[in-house]
Amino acid sequence: MLAEQLRQDQIANDLANASTAGYKAERTIQRSFGELLLTNSVTGATIGSQSTAVQVTGTVTDWTPQPVKETGEPLDFAIVGEGFFAVRTGDGVRYTRNGAFAADANGVLVTSAGDPVLGRNNQPVRVGADGKVDPRALNVVLLANPEKAGNNLVTGTPAAGAAGAVRSGALEGSGADPTQSMVDMIASMRAYEAGQKVIRTIDETLGKAASSVGSLT
Amino acid sequence: MLEGLRTAAAGMQAQQQKLDAVANDLANANTNGYKRLRVGFSDLLYEQGGRPTTTAEAQFGTGARALSLGRTFQQGALRETGRTLDVAIQGEGFLRVRLADGRQALTRDGNLQIDGSGRLVTPYGGVVEPTIRVPEGTNESDITIGRDGTVSANGRPLGRIAIVNVRSPQGLESAGDNAYVTTGRSGNAVAAPATTVLTQGALEASNTDMAQAMTEMIEAQRTYQLTSKAIQTADTMMEIANGVKR
Repeated sequence: MLAEQLRQDQIANDLANASTAGYKAERTIQRSFGELLLTNSVTGATIGSQSTAVQVTGTVTDWTPQPVKETGEPLDFAIVGEGFFAVRTGDGVRYTRNGAFAADANGVLVTSAGDPVLGRNNQPVRVGADGKVDPRALNVVLLANPEKAGNNLVTGTPAAGAAGAVRSGALEGSGADPTQSMVDMIASMRAYEAGQKVIRTIDETLGKAASSVGSLT
Repeated sequence: MLEGLRTAAAGMQAQQQKLDAVANDLANANTNGYKRLRVGFSDLLYEQGGRPTTTAEAQFGTGARALSLGRTFQQGALRETGRTLDVAIQGEGFLRVRLADGRQALTRDGNLQIDGSGRLVTPYGGVVEPTIRVPEGTNESDITIGRDGTVSANGRPLGRIAIVNVRSPQGLESAGDNAYVTTGRSGNAVAAPATTVLTQGALEASNTDMAQAMTEMIEAQRTYQLTSKAIQTADTMMEIANGVKR
């Protein structure tokens, strides 16, 4: 039941981010705890294995590129294909696929949080006098083990390989699929319900054992 | 226990802000020179494991929030009015005006009037900069405004309306009454490119696209609804958990 609660939390986050540009959907992986081998205590014959519970061992993020939506805004960028924009934050270089950028007071291209976006030479990119930025000037980095860090940012180690091309005037859609989330939510809730039924059945069995066994009438 | 309740609530709140922005766009569908608002979204912090029956690799998001991304300064459609003092800006740029409180501001609302002292003003009292005085007794229909902003009455030049532009209009701050003031993020007002011209006898309509605003509204409303289902499910699950003990 605890594992299903976590799955529910993750589905709620997907739904909440159904409109977040560049958001990537997640799945939880569940795995059973170590199994116990049961044996008959009198004869020693093995009865079979019994699982003790289920645990959540991780969340997988689906990094598949999502369809790109036209916005017509000069400072919106989308990566067509794999890769991430590099951003210089207070905690070091972070990456993002949400290309809704803006210009700051010094004319530098920044994210909605105000962190400068890095160009090909790993330096911040300046917005031209016409208010535009050449999409080819932006650095697109492939990551070996991307991991979400919140606020549209991702951490990871840069890797070699061919990254996607940048398109201006467009944003990547959210990877959250409300239909899938709804189905998962129902399935998860029912599994939770089943867990509750198991607890109640065990409770009844124990109740029987406590009240009926040894009763003379 | 079920952080998803709060996660979903954060998502709903973000969609609500999007709806507010769309409502404002729709309310201004007939405002001359209005530019529609842009709302973006961002995910929130991720919690790494730290809960019963999880390993440290599992991470759980905590919702979404709405971000204001300024406005879309796409050209609005031109509407013929035939009035000689109406000017529409075609291309990037703004008219420079001085507001009643003395602040310099920019506007794309070219529904100009002549005030008591003969100056060209916007309907909300902003004086067009540089000040252009129309001599007493001039018939409004005798005024011509050229594509470059030159104002003349009966062929006699009176002055030139300045058309200015900023580096990134998204950074402009709304001052109300269809006017914007420059900020550090928008950059200073400089002369607009020569491709920007004025059209006399027309006004620029709002760039709120009804069909698009409606689509966005439905999208935001449905996402709101879907996210509320997550709250409902979390609630049902709590009820199931309560059912463990009869």
